[in-house]
Amino acid sequence: MTPSEELLKHLPNDIGGLSAGPIDCTDHELQPWEKRCHALADVLDYHKILNTEEKRRGVEALGAEIIGKLTYYERWIAAFANILFQKQVLTPEELAIKMDEVAARHAREAEA
Amino acid sequence: MHPHDHTPITVPDGAPGYYEIMETAMRELLAEKGLIQPAEIRRQIEVLDSRTPQLGAKVVARAWIDPDFRARLLAHGRTACEELGITFYDDTQLIVLENTATVHNLIVCTLCSCYPRPVLGLPPDWYKQKPYRARAVKEPRAVLAEFGTVIPEDVEIRVSDSTAIVRYLVLPRRPDGTENWSEEELASLVTRDTMIGVSTIETQNRRVQ
Repeated sequence: MTPSEELLKHLPNDIGGLSAGPIDCTDHELQPWEKRCHALADVLDYHKILNTEEKRRGVEALGAEIIGKLTYYERWIAAFANILFQKQVLTPEELAIKMDEVAARHAREAEA
Repeated sequence: MHPHDHTPITVPDGAPGYYEIMETAMRELLAEKGLIQPAEIRRQIEVLDSRTPQLGAKVVARAWIDPDFRARLLAHGRTACEELGITFYDDTQLIVLENTATVHNLIVCTLCSCYPRPVLGLPPDWYKQKPYRARAVKEPRAVLAEFGTVIPEDVEIRVSDSTAIVRYLVLPRRPDGTENWSEEELASLVTRDTMIGVSTIETQNRRVQ
């Protein structure tokens, strides 16, 4: 198989059967935002806004480089943003404005 | 058991990172639009916190002492768990795979991180990472050896690959010499790793001793 065929036949999530290094059995406690991110996904699923398979495909659509560099919940939240944009639930602009607001609020709280 | 990396739960310099800000902004926007309620997020965090491998251990211990329950569990995993009061908040089906003298089961999600969350809680990091997902289906014995688990060559290893809607749980073998044990004592033997299939009750306890 040529490298480009390989890319087409194995999307980034499709890794079953590939070679890989040893298993790192260390685990970490979820950070509060990671747990909120998980809860958000579940709540969006309850409301039929975003289901598990859409979530998996959303992560896949981030592409191999992003998948390789982001942590698990960083990939999730980035995928949710893209999916919600595609579904026209949110716009990139409103998310950007809100993120600026949240960052400014944290900065103010840090000063206080 | 595995060493745990107790990463501090607060960001050292206090400033939330880019992705945390994205999470907060998205959640607040969705609430402003009335698509979700803040209370639902808090409630779901409580649900997530309430799910631990102890629930799965309770299911396993009951199956060991009650043959009728075991039969129902193997026939319809989800409804049998619901009999014990375990709700399936994620709308998944559960298939329980019984280990026997001739078959050892192992579960994986090669595509992502599907896991029997209602009965085990959230998966460990290694379950979500490439080495386990890639190798479990190709060289399960080598993977098991990394967990200190050696399955005799004449025992077949079956690897089940989870999906978004179908999840698996391994029913480990009841150890010999536990005939007079109570249900609670039996449940105390059952760990997360034995219900994923990367350990057996015997290897697990050897490691602890």
